[in-house]
Order: sequence, then C-alpha cells, then structure tokens
Amino acid sequence: MKTTFGMLGSAFLAFLMMASGAMAHHSFAMFDRTVEKVATGTVARWQFNAPHSWLYLNVKNADGSETLWSFEGSAPQALLTRGITGSTFEPGATVTLSYCPMKDGRPGGGLGWARLANGTFVNPSDGGCDGSDNAIAKWKGWMAKGYTSSADAQKGK
Amino acid sequence: MNRSLRWIAVAALALFCAPSRPFAQPGAFGGGYGPPLVVVPPPKTFATSEEHYKFLLAAAKGGTKHTIASVPRWDGLWVTAGNTHMDSFIDPPGFTGKVREGVLTPPYEKAYKERWRQQQELGEVQYDRLTHCEPPGYPRWLLEPYSHEFVNLPQESYLINDFGPGIRRVYVGQEHKNVFGTHSWYGDTIGFWDADKLVTNTKYLLPADFTRWSPMTSNQFESVETWQLKKYAGDVERLEVQVTFYDRHAFIKPVNAVYAFRRGKELEAAGHRVQHWECETSNNDVFDKGTTTSRLPGEAGFKDARGTTLFPELPGQSRDPIYNTTLPGGKESK
Repeated sequence: MKTTFGMLGSAFLAFLMMASGAMAHHSFAMFDRTVEKVATGTVARWQFNAPHSWLYLNVKNADGSETLWSFEGSAPQALLTRGITGSTFEPGATVTLSYCPMKDGRPGGGLGWARLANGTFVNPSDGGCDGSDNAIAKWKGWMAKGYTSSADAQKGK
Repeated sequence: MNRSLRWIAVAALALFCAPSRPFAQPGAFGGGYGPPLVVVPPPKTFATSEEHYKFLLAAAKGGTKHTIASVPRWDGLWVTAGNTHMDSFIDPPGFTGKVREGVLTPPYEKAYKERWRQQQELGEVQYDRLTHCEPPGYPRWLLEPYSHEFVNLPQESYLINDFGPGIRRVYVGQEHKNVFGTHSWYGDTIGFWDADKLVTNTKYLLPADFTRWSPMTSNQFESVETWQLKKYAGDVERLEVQVTFYDRHAFIKPVNAVYAFRRGKELEAAGHRVQHWECETSNNDVFDKGTTTSRLPGEAGFKDARGTTLFPELPGQSRDPIYNTTLPGGKESK
C-alpha cells in the first residue's frame, strides 16, 4: 500500500512539473506539494498581479491572535479564464482555501482551491498546489469529516 | 484493491511521465491545440543567420511589398499554443530524459548537464533570469506564456508579449543597425514579407539562459524566423513560427524548432486587456540558501506592489486606489 501511494505521489509530482510549465515564472520548489492543508481567514488583500497573484489572509491562531498568511496563485491571464478577477476576493471577506505550505515553515504557501463566502469554489492555483475540480471534490469529502490536513485525512482512512 | 490502485498509479505515471513527444505537445506552454507541431528545417545548411536570411530574401525575389490594405492582419489577443523547444535539447521521455549529445559545444554541454542535474535532483535550476528580475528577452520571448499581440504595418511589425513587457520590433525591408554599440535583451530584428509569411533575422542579443530548463545562450545567438498563420480542420487557427537558431559558441550546428500561438478568445471574452507588468516594484522572489523562495509581508526587502509610492505623505499615493489595502513592511527608501 505504501508503494502504491508512493507511485501515486510520483505521478502527481510529474503532473505538477508539467502543469507548472503552463504559467510559472519561477520554480515551486519552495512549497511542499506533498502536503495540503486548509485555512480560513479574512482577506487582507487580493493582489491580482502578473506574473503571480497573491492572496493575503488574516488567519486566527488558537490563542486568538492573528497571523497574516501569504498564498501564491496563478497569473491574472490564467485566472480570468477561470472566472476569477481582481474583485473576486474583496478585503474583509471570509475565505476558506487549500494550500501547500512553504517548506521553511513561514506563514505562506502555494494556493490550491478557494471557497468564497457564498460557498462557491474557485481555482486560483498555479503549479504550487492543486486547485483542480478533483482536488475540490476530494476536499469536500474530507472537510465534511472535519479534516484540515491531507496527512490527517489519509491517516484517518 | 491494493492491486487495482497499483495499476492506476502505473497508468498515471505512464500518462504523465512518458508521452511520445515528451515536451512538445501537450506538455509545453499551451501545447495540445490543433495537430502536432512539425519542425520544417531550412532548405539547406547555412553557416550564419545572415546567410540564411539573404537566401530566403533572394528566393522571395526581394520580398512582397505590402500596403496597409494588403499586409496580413493578426489582430486580437493570442496565447501560446505549444512548441518543440525542449525536444531539441533533451532526449525522451521528458523530465527524466538526458541531455542530448551532439547539440551543444563542450563548454555549453557541460554547463547544461549541470543545469539539468539541478532540475532533476533539486526540482529547479539554480539560475533563472526571471527570479533575478531580469527581462525574459529573446529567445525566451518565443515561449513565454501570457497574452500576446501582433501588429503588422507595411514598414514594421510589433510583436508584443504581456510580460516584462516584451516588445519586439521587426523593421521590414531594412538592414540591421546597432547605433548603441552593444547588444540588448531583444536585439535588432529585420524582416520581409513573402506573400503571407513574415521572415525575420534577429541578432545583437545579450547572453542568457534560453529558458529555465534549457541551455545557456551566448552573445552570438541569432535567429531566422518564418511566421505564418495556418488553418486546420475543426476551425483550428494557429500562428506558427519556424525558427532556426544560430550560436557559434553554444551550438555545434544550427538548431531548428517551431513555436505556436492561438487566438486568446477566452481572454477577450473575459475582458482582458494587455497591461504593463514590471518586476522592480513587485517581485518578491529571491534565490536564497540554495532554493527559490519569496519574501513575505513584514520581512526585510519585501516589495509591496500595491503599497504607496515613495511619497506617502502626499494624498493619493496609494497604488491600490480601489481597495486601499496595506500590508506590514514593504516601505521603499528614497
């Protein structure tokens, strides 16, 4: 079973390497793409800029304090074709998103999918994390069971 | 179940890792649109790009003298639609392939093998000009994603990429000029029309990395391009660029490739208009401790792309005038 997941992981990495060639302007080696997590927070800024957009989100910590998290998404030229514009994430709005964390532990990551306050899911991802329809479907199931980490969800299987 | 999953994994690996055309289509920059791209080599081998260009000019009897009414129009937005670029340098099957022998000169082959080792072992190359905020330049311009515009006039064509910005100017019916006495990111491009084909010659380029996964190029890199709008069954319309690259320092012999663009109808429908994007005030990517990373808000050196100008004490200096958001740090010094 471990081997199977290893092979699936390799296939996914190969896919990401090819997918990242689609719009990337830099390497995504800074993100741990073997891990996906979910966070909820309020939008500090949606920076809809080329060659990468950034979603800055204030996320509450367990002690009640807030940390500003930074999530890198794709270029506007790609996002426009997915129905995402410079107004999709308005400051102050509540957003839930998936991300692949930065390997060095800083509060940031590659952006996967995002769920808007009205419940709509969108895909602002670049090659840093998976925001595809398949990822959204997978996470809908995991979130219904209360998971916020792919590692926990896989352990819970 | 375990066995089934294993077969799924094997199938996925085969699908993603070993396409018969490893990089060309559909893996590379918009590939997979229309029929497979086919490289059309020049009719014979030329020693230099200038010799190649003059041969084509003579064959076209000095070229077609278009008027504003007859010059081919490639209006609207375009996006990349694949290329055969990496097929020139890497043997199948793609990212797990090896550097092709006999293409690069010994010093450039040695340097490229090291770049390819970095890509395969570390997941990235240790030098990528965009991470360092350098312009894409030519030849990278040919396969940069994002939107493009191509404006043809009888005396000049403007080939525009929505990134950098990268604007190439083709001086139709003219000779090369270099009054600056040096080379530049996009060099100097001359051209002529052969009916509906635009033939160009580019030289006086700066040395650079061809692209992130490609070999380095020298300051003797030159090219001859033939641009033509082609139509295929199924309402497929593709602007194809057949290119021969010359580089006496880097290549043992000229390298041929084809690049393509398709109409960006989805971008037009989404209301996209080409913007001027630059790196100096917005790029937070750096190469640090052996890997590419990004500076985050509040960290030293963070550039706040939507912060204020150098004169925040003046009213109206926010570069985020619609939402007026602020982030920690990112102040510029005068």
